[in-house]
Amino acid sequence: MRPGRIWATTIAQLKMMFRRRVAIFWSFVFPIILLSLLGLLFGRSIDAGTITVIDRSQTAQARQMIAVLDRTDGVTVKRSSKSVVDEQKRVKDGDSDALLVLTPAGSGQVNATLSYSNASATQAGIIQGVVSGAADRVSLHDTGSPPALQYRAISVDSNQLDYLDFLLPGVIAISIMISAVIGLSTVLVNWRKQGILRRLKLTPMPLWEFLVARIAASLVLATLQLVVLIVFGAAVFGVEISPTAWAAVPIALAGTLCFLAMGFTIGSMVAEPETADAVTNVITNPMMFLSGTFFPVAAMPDFVQTIAKVLPLYYLANGLRDTIVRDQGFMSVLPEFGVLCGVTAVLAALSLRTFRWE
Amino acid sequence: MIRPRMAAENAITVSGLTKRYGDQVAVDAVTFEVRNGESFGILGPNGAGKTTTLEMIEGLRKPDGGEVTVLGRPVWPDPRDIQSSIGVQLQSTALFDKLSARELLELFAQFYGRSDGPERAMQALGLVGLEGKAEAQAEEMSGGQRQRLAIALALVHDPQVVFLDEPTTGLDPQARRNLWDVIRAINEEGGKTVVLTTHYLEEAEELCDRVAIMDQAKVIALDTPAGLIASLGADVRISYAEAGEEKVVYAHDAQAAVLELLQRANTEGTEIDDLSVRGPSLEDVFLNLTGRAFRE
Repeated sequence: MRPGRIWATTIAQLKMMFRRRVAIFWSFVFPIILLSLLGLLFGRSIDAGTITVIDRSQTAQARQMIAVLDRTDGVTVKRSSKSVVDEQKRVKDGDSDALLVLTPAGSGQVNATLSYSNASATQAGIIQGVVSGAADRVSLHDTGSPPALQYRAISVDSNQLDYLDFLLPGVIAISIMISAVIGLSTVLVNWRKQGILRRLKLTPMPLWEFLVARIAASLVLATLQLVVLIVFGAAVFGVEISPTAWAAVPIALAGTLCFLAMGFTIGSMVAEPETADAVTNVITNPMMFLSGTFFPVAAMPDFVQTIAKVLPLYYLANGLRDTIVRDQGFMSVLPEFGVLCGVTAVLAALSLRTFRWE
Repeated sequence: MIRPRMAAENAITVSGLTKRYGDQVAVDAVTFEVRNGESFGILGPNGAGKTTTLEMIEGLRKPDGGEVTVLGRPVWPDPRDIQSSIGVQLQSTALFDKLSARELLELFAQFYGRSDGPERAMQALGLVGLEGKAEAQAEEMSGGQRQRLAIALALVHDPQVVFLDEPTTGLDPQARRNLWDVIRAINEEGGKTVVLTTHYLEEAEELCDRVAIMDQAKVIALDTPAGLIASLGADVRISYAEAGEEKVVYAHDAQAAVLELLQRANTEGTEIDDLSVRGPSLEDVFLNLTGRAFRE
């Protein structure tokens, strides 16, 4: 091993990375656009849309519930005096996001019936969460009767964090994932196809040293992404960064290693750069939406929650969120760190078995 | 062919080298030697087994049989022993993009553990006449310049033996001639042993001290270009078309042979077209050995 040689190769790899405009776009510009776009769309909190309320009970509880909903960030409450049928039609037609009907149920009880558009699972989940939260607060079911609305327990991501606080670590996780996976899958396939790996084989430089240099360059890139995006989020969107944010560094690095290993596995198995791109997209795109990066996993259907827990991006996003905005130190994200390292080890072992020079 | 030479005088010895792909024999018991300081060519049509032979010598492709030594050291089973003493330009110009010529050369110098990377890089650029392109990236270069950069990469660690796999394929005639000058300088002024493959007859004649002609996985002739041509035993090549059929004859006396040909045609009443007379070339050697025309 020659540290000087690895160092020089790392510098060369960094030059290659930063001179490739597409890579810079995906690593820095894309996440900033994503953050800005979602930030502007949803403001500083989750904007789940408009809930139309028809109050047929005219009870104190009902008024209290409407008041709670009114105060909730992200939903707009619209009172209506039209018929339930008319309003349900508006939900069906997509003119309204949800309809809450409050009717008296005898002995001072109130039945709350929520009809929501299932056009967007995410939105539906958030609206359910918000209404259920409001119902909990008014304690409609403290009076001994069956709960007015049947909700599954909702973990309170949506209610406790401002949306941008929630979003920033998710977007960082996504950008780290994309840079790392593409940074080794398509790149490795291109190197092989262009004969660069064969050319390398003719020199005394061992492949592992070359890979170590590439990994080192990717870790530098990931650290830069982390810092740039945190600074951007804090400066532009006023995201409050926890003092524990330093603990995001080991999480980000473990996540980078994990997705590099994934990229290397893809690159080892696939022959054409186009195929590598396609496989990368097929794997990363669903992961982006299923891992609770844009919206809390808790607001999603049960089966999505189950899927999320087997996706490494979920652990990267969670680990980053806990450390960057939730005041959690490194010790409390050890499980996430462990999962990312474990997946890295498995993928690395797999890819080394399938690696081909040509 | 028996060549009583000391082993030390040979940069490369190849004996019985064989490579199979399934039932297909790509290289069939190839045997030859390359002397120190020589410019040696492997000439043959596409698919003759030239590149496979070269790659087995370079340590890139494992032979199924036979032996190779480079500078007295066996290449197999561990080709790493010879890596620092050989420089290779592969058929596909494999260059990292986004690095300048100078950066690329310095990186490769590092691969070889050289601490004098910057000097070596400029020196290698000078050898191939690319000093003016030191800061240019491969994608900004012409085909000929890229090829010269690939050759510079083969030279950056100052190897004793340089392998060039079809160095001028795909280049226009002018770029090809420029590259010939570069290759000649590497061999003559740089004192390096050069082994190149080519499917250009003229290139083999121009550049090589000795040429091995390969066809269908075998070496079918090996000598100096002059020696190969002399083996035809003819001084001129007369080609013509008679009744629409192309014909070639070899002769010692051009005047007598042409006269005889025309007289016969006259007597028989056939028509002779496209008559041409010139000295024989390697093309004729190939035609004579295989019965087929050489297609570049």
